[in-house]
Amino acid sequence: MTHDAIIADAIIADNLSYSYNDHLAVDGISFKVAEGEIMGFLGPNGAGKSTTIKMLTGQIRPRGGRVTVLGTDVSAHPKRVQAEIGICFEFTNLYEQMSAIENLKLFAALFGVRDFDPVALLDRVGLPGRGKDKVASYSKGMKQRLMVARALVNRPKILFLDEPTEGLDPVSAEAIRDVIREERARGATIFLTTHDMHEADKLSNRVAFINQGHIVALDTPHNLKQQYGQRRLRAEVSQADGRLEEREIALDTPETAHAVEQLFAQEKVVTVHSEEASLEDIFIQITGRGLVG
Amino acid sequence: MIRALVTKDITLFFRNQFFAIVSVLGLVAYAAVYFLMPKTVDDTLTIGIYPPEIPAVFLEETADSGIVFVPKDSEEALRAGMSAQDNEYNVAFLFPEGWVRTLALSHALDQDVTILFTSDFPDELKEAYVVILEELSYTLSGQTINISATEEVVGQDLAGDPLAARERMVPLLAMIVLMVETMGLASLIASEVEEHTLQAVLTTPVRIGHLFLSKGITGVTLAFVQSALLVAVIGGLRQAPLLILAALLLGSILVTAVAFLIGSSSKDLLSVMAWAVPVLIVLAIPTFGIVFPGATTVWTRIIPTYYLVDTLHKVVNFGAGWADVWQNLLILLGFSAGFTALGILALRRKYR
Repeated sequence: MTHDAIIADAIIADNLSYSYNDHLAVDGISFKVAEGEIMGFLGPNGAGKSTTIKMLTGQIRPRGGRVTVLGTDVSAHPKRVQAEIGICFEFTNLYEQMSAIENLKLFAALFGVRDFDPVALLDRVGLPGRGKDKVASYSKGMKQRLMVARALVNRPKILFLDEPTEGLDPVSAEAIRDVIREERARGATIFLTTHDMHEADKLSNRVAFINQGHIVALDTPHNLKQQYGQRRLRAEVSQADGRLEEREIALDTPETAHAVEQLFAQEKVVTVHSEEASLEDIFIQITGRGLVG
Repeated sequence: MIRALVTKDITLFFRNQFFAIVSVLGLVAYAAVYFLMPKTVDDTLTIGIYPPEIPAVFLEETADSGIVFVPKDSEEALRAGMSAQDNEYNVAFLFPEGWVRTLALSHALDQDVTILFTSDFPDELKEAYVVILEELSYTLSGQTINISATEEVVGQDLAGDPLAARERMVPLLAMIVLMVETMGLASLIASEVEEHTLQAVLTTPVRIGHLFLSKGITGVTLAFVQSALLVAVIGGLRQAPLLILAALLLGSILVTAVAFLIGSSSKDLLSVMAWAVPVLIVLAIPTFGIVFPGATTVWTRIIPTYYLVDTLHKVVNFGAGWADVWQNLLILLGFSAGFTALGILALRRKYR
């Protein structure tokens, strides 16, 4: 295998396992993430998402299997890998008694980045004019934006984002999604864990479903919907007493055309929408459980 | 309502296993400190003596009185036993050659004896030693001997110029500064773990060795600069400044290592306090013996900080030099190195 071939896959996880005492958190998972791809890692709390990120980023050593990031074995050379990646952690871990600018300058120094403009980076994540304030005075959304900014100080080749929008207001969440799109446009590879299926659907090139330490599905959102989802037609019809009732017609069946014809012939249709299955529907279909909890 | 709240707080406190354990350990540690302190006043009188001939009747007479004679082979050895370095005894009898025979035969009823005292020996006790000498001479000769005792102070003579309380407090004040720094660094280490900032730092190119080094430099610098500044301000650097600074530097390394140990055992500021208080009380004990002479005994030499405060005391208050305290510095260096190794091991375990 040539070096270029290895680099073409930014992340290669091969049969990874990890256990906390007797609890097997990750059980022999394998996947690849191509350069410039956004991989969504979907699963409920405790499914093994954060443990996987920790193994991919060299924070913990896999009990089994191997991780290669940017062509480097992470267990053998974690610092070499960490110099090239950015991590936005699941929990806020900023120096709260320092300002945002001080936080960013500190991490730029740790990465050895010299030509660094913290103010421009703060503007980019939607924190203009607050750079000199202590982080302790920030709201949760502002802290999360700063966490994302900190992950960008070294212009990482791979960005690991662990639940970056969880619990945020819509404005903060969208600001972070914008940054993710910009980073993809820059050419960065992005590994995104979330249990927000809409976010994963909007942002990811491919998604992996992880449940109880196993990857149970891995494909593009479109293919997953094609494979597992069922398209529907949802209509609202008006009753004689003025009430609205819903009607649902499954698409892609031999009876679809007749059912649609009957609907319009016999009912007073107020609204009609076609619906695709959501990723959450598919996750429930595959695992028998929801993404939240 | 209040009762319910108090019950809730107590329940929460003891549901936190850490605090429950530390509370019990704290009680044990405080009790241990109490029982380690001398139970009775140490009333042993150790007296150096030259020439080394001690009549058997002297030993019989003094067997139950707590007087212990330490014979020396030469006048130089007798004086050396009183030096700041050896500190074997605070009083010594320097008899003329052949004094035992002279007294026993009662050839001469007048005897010239020199009694040597260390410089910090209390004036009010000196007369008692003259009386002891007269009693012993009577025992030996069977008649009253006119002892012409000449007092001689070994080392810097503090007669008329005793150490002021604040001069005795120099080592204590320096230790307080060092101890405050110990708690500060320990809480810094604990908060890095508690707030997960350490996780962020360790996923950069920073290696764990860099982290130990940076924490060590921070701790030693803060402790050393502040303690040196304090000692300079109170005039402690007038004598042998390099020697004092060397001692403070070694002391700073020692307390930084102690901070590593406390920090690695703690989760937050409260647990830092819980660990630090018993540890720092023990480390401060040697200073009590300087502020209140006689309050402690030789067992305090097992406490690493003894060698720091003893050095500071001897240099600042008695003008001791490198030759007098090099052994202290060497032992302090050994303790500092040992504790640093332990501290790094503990931190490494914590950071994994």
